[in-house]
Amino acid sequence: MRLLSLSFSLFTFILLLSLSQSHASSQHTNNWAVLVCSSRYWFNYRHMANALGMYRTVKRLGIPDSNIILMLADDAACNERNSFAGSVYANPGRHLDLFGENIEVDYRGYEVTVENFLRLLTGRLPPSFPRSKRLLTDSSSNIFIYLTGHGGNEFLKFQDNEEVSAHDIADAFHQMYEGGRYNEIFFMVDTCQANSMYSKFYSPGILATGSSVVGENSYSHENDYDIGVAVIDSYTHYVLEYMEKVNKTSRLTMADLFTSYDVPKIGSHPGVRSDLFDRPLGPEHPMNEYGRGRGWTVEGGGEWVGREMEAEKRGRGLREALITDFFGGVVEVDVDGEGESVLQLFEDFECPPVFKEPTPPPIKTYSPPPPAPVSSTSLFDEYPFLRPSLAFVILGALFAFVFSGVISRRS
Amino acid sequence: MLRTGLFLIFLLLSSVFCLEDSTEEFEEHLSIKSLKDGRVAFSFTFKTLLRDAIPRDPRTLAFDNDDSQHYTLFPLTLGQILRQYAITELHLTLNAGKWNYDAWGYPDEPDVGVGAELRAWMAGDSISSIDDRWQGVRNALAGLFCASLGSLDEQRTTSPRSTFPPEGALPDWGLPHELRHASHASEHVCTENLTPFLKLLPCKSRSGLAMLLNPHRIFDADWHGIGLHVIWRPEGVEVRLSVQLVSDPLRVSGQKKQDWSFSSLFDRKVEKACPIAKSSRVSVELPSSGVYRVYPEPPQVKDGIAHYDLKNANEVWDIGTMWPTDFEYPLSKPNPALVPFSVRRNLLGSTQDRGQLSIVLTNNEQDVLQLLYLETMPWIIQFYLHTIRVHADDALRDDLISNISYILPIPHARPATFETVLTLPGQSTITFTMDVAKAFLRYTEHPPDAQRGWDLPPAIFTPLRQSSHNSTNLGKRVYSPSLLVDLATPDFSMPYNVIIFTCSVVAFIFGSVFNVLTRKFIVVRLEPQKRSESSPSKNLDSDESGKPDTSKSNVH
Repeated sequence: MRLLSLSFSLFTFILLLSLSQSHASSQHTNNWAVLVCSSRYWFNYRHMANALGMYRTVKRLGIPDSNIILMLADDAACNERNSFAGSVYANPGRHLDLFGENIEVDYRGYEVTVENFLRLLTGRLPPSFPRSKRLLTDSSSNIFIYLTGHGGNEFLKFQDNEEVSAHDIADAFHQMYEGGRYNEIFFMVDTCQANSMYSKFYSPGILATGSSVVGENSYSHENDYDIGVAVIDSYTHYVLEYMEKVNKTSRLTMADLFTSYDVPKIGSHPGVRSDLFDRPLGPEHPMNEYGRGRGWTVEGGGEWVGREMEAEKRGRGLREALITDFFGGVVEVDVDGEGESVLQLFEDFECPPVFKEPTPPPIKTYSPPPPAPVSSTSLFDEYPFLRPSLAFVILGALFAFVFSGVISRRS
Repeated sequence: MLRTGLFLIFLLLSSVFCLEDSTEEFEEHLSIKSLKDGRVAFSFTFKTLLRDAIPRDPRTLAFDNDDSQHYTLFPLTLGQILRQYAITELHLTLNAGKWNYDAWGYPDEPDVGVGAELRAWMAGDSISSIDDRWQGVRNALAGLFCASLGSLDEQRTTSPRSTFPPEGALPDWGLPHELRHASHASEHVCTENLTPFLKLLPCKSRSGLAMLLNPHRIFDADWHGIGLHVIWRPEGVEVRLSVQLVSDPLRVSGQKKQDWSFSSLFDRKVEKACPIAKSSRVSVELPSSGVYRVYPEPPQVKDGIAHYDLKNANEVWDIGTMWPTDFEYPLSKPNPALVPFSVRRNLLGSTQDRGQLSIVLTNNEQDVLQLLYLETMPWIIQFYLHTIRVHADDALRDDLISNISYILPIPHARPATFETVLTLPGQSTITFTMDVAKAFLRYTEHPPDAQRGWDLPPAIFTPLRQSSHNSTNLGKRVYSPSLLVDLATPDFSMPYNVIIFTCSVVAFIFGSVFNVLTRKFIVVRLEPQKRSESSPSKNLDSDESGKPDTSKSNVH
């Protein structure tokens, strides 16, 4: 009897252990994105281009408009100073219009405030707020949060008028954790001294990256002389350039993204924080070299909080963090818990090499669809009552035939 | 057997009639007019009619069992908003630019006030229920159209009595209908407002006239506006979506000819007809003078308007007009005038605490004209009604103003509603002036770009016409341009300065008092023979002749 109870308790213990392990690697079921441009005025065009570039990338990789909250503090596309009405470009040659023809901006103009941002994250919105302005995430949502604007040591400026501090965002994230409003968060920030913005987080499941260390500025990338201002920031430009290689079924990991940071090109030292994130960032070899390659002049390698924990995470055998976990819509949904069978499909898929210089994407030219073939107007289109009357006649004849047959058989 | 046969025949007949579904109709129409100054005015109208539908009775809002809404052409998102808040009539416009009435005449859709303008007729038995539903419909439309209509709160909402009669019919439920009107003159219009607008159309922008709506060209126009109008007519509920724009072919093409076509102005052509449109027409108003060619050849020309029917279009439509000679800009005003009166509204004064509102109205016709003048001024500008002066040709004329209706503004809560009737003698100019005071805002009420100023909503002028059976009819509305008022802005860095300064002073005082209270100054005698083995600091101290060693005192 004792042996039976002991074995039973041992069995349940092992079962719970295995279940808890599978919970740690539980997949998300939906993706959300919160893209915030917090600066106003025409000369901050590049911040709006940053946010719109991320918007386009995130939409291309599969997150629908209903799951994207886009906050733009000013109107750059239809600004009176914009020579190219309705368009926002991120490169001097004006190859790609980021605004496009199908865009939904959820918070715009004066609505982009610190209060609205924090209320959006924590969900404490008045009942009058429409659905499109709410972050309707649940405990299995992965959220990609991108902030850009002017900032400094542990603060980000909103509309040149107020600031949000890193402590506020950390507290908002903890409220989200307590409320079960996210599965994992990927936090990216492109401002001056950006790495200080994620230094205060204390909730589990957050992976963060920033564009420059404390005491360092982030720089803009290129100017366009017809638009008249700088059109993109360099950190975001190189991240977007890398993301052009990623498509919906890509198996590139977060480690691939982070090791693509090229400090001489970006002009500042990006950082990573993964100590709150419980999954490994990628395969061992490339991530070990993070921050130690050329250009990383910061003492002790590039800033990566959580470097020591990486090997231990890999040892636990958890799933690696893929770029499409945060940037795209869910491609494989684990319904019955047998995720391995889906992963089998990607066994023979060849991942592109990480250290290759990313090739610029081919410029897609829009060609209008060929004109529709000429369709002849049929008799039915000219006399619209012909079809139902013909149906009536045919059905009536059929019924009459059947009935007469039945009647004759009876009599 | 005969009876069963007849019953079956009856069933078949009834099923035949059910195959024809005519409860919803969709029509689209484009009206094009060449203006005298070389520009072209386009007016797209997309009408969806839901036959035999009635707006929701607000008394049924307490019960949650509204009829389920099954539409094929009528936009469901809009229908849900209308029924959830029991709206009878709704008008929303998002415009940008200044409509030049003197050069362009009247627009097809009269609501051309700059920025966002929303008005709704709602029935209700209590004011609070109407106000709650007004707030609900504002926020719902803000979410639907990606516009900041949520800021049209009670600080911008008015209920003008006479200027906005209902365009359609109001159902007779025995409840009073109330109008709520709000406008936000500094609202931007961009592609994110056009995207959901196009999604309300049955054919979206894939076929029919909506194919021409290219946001890169629409928002480049000299004036553009999109509008949503929901009206109840006896036939049913009509949703009218309108896009109006005034393009300048001379600027777009860079040539001296005012030739225009769909491909040159919109960069698009109508390639496919919308298959579910009941009618899809283009009307081009032919210019009355000059030599030109309209292409393709119009199948029907009536009263100087060329009509094209795009319904059964198998071809690609690229309608345009060509002139053989270069364009000559008209040097004189159009004669006869396109609009019976002209308006100029200014805010005079150079100080930031008071000013003068000045309206200059010119009557272009011989007959006396009566105008209903509506001003929905935010509370930041306070009127002094006793300073109203009306001058006609420098003579003070008190008889030209009558029927003043004024709802006082409440600071921080309600705008002013000022309606009056102005009489303009024939071929004359009258000047209406009124002193105003500008408010001093609280620190938190300033917008982030406070130095820009505040946009004031346009004033609305409606001609009154005495019709035969002694009741006044309202003519077409005219909107004046908006104004920009510069209010006194504080130095926004002052709270920071005060905190820093106060903290520094407090720290300085506290530190000094604390030091005086807790530190003890003692005299340390230095032995001369211990100089060789003493610490370097002691050497330094002994260099300062005879001074007590105060740095060592805090050891105690």
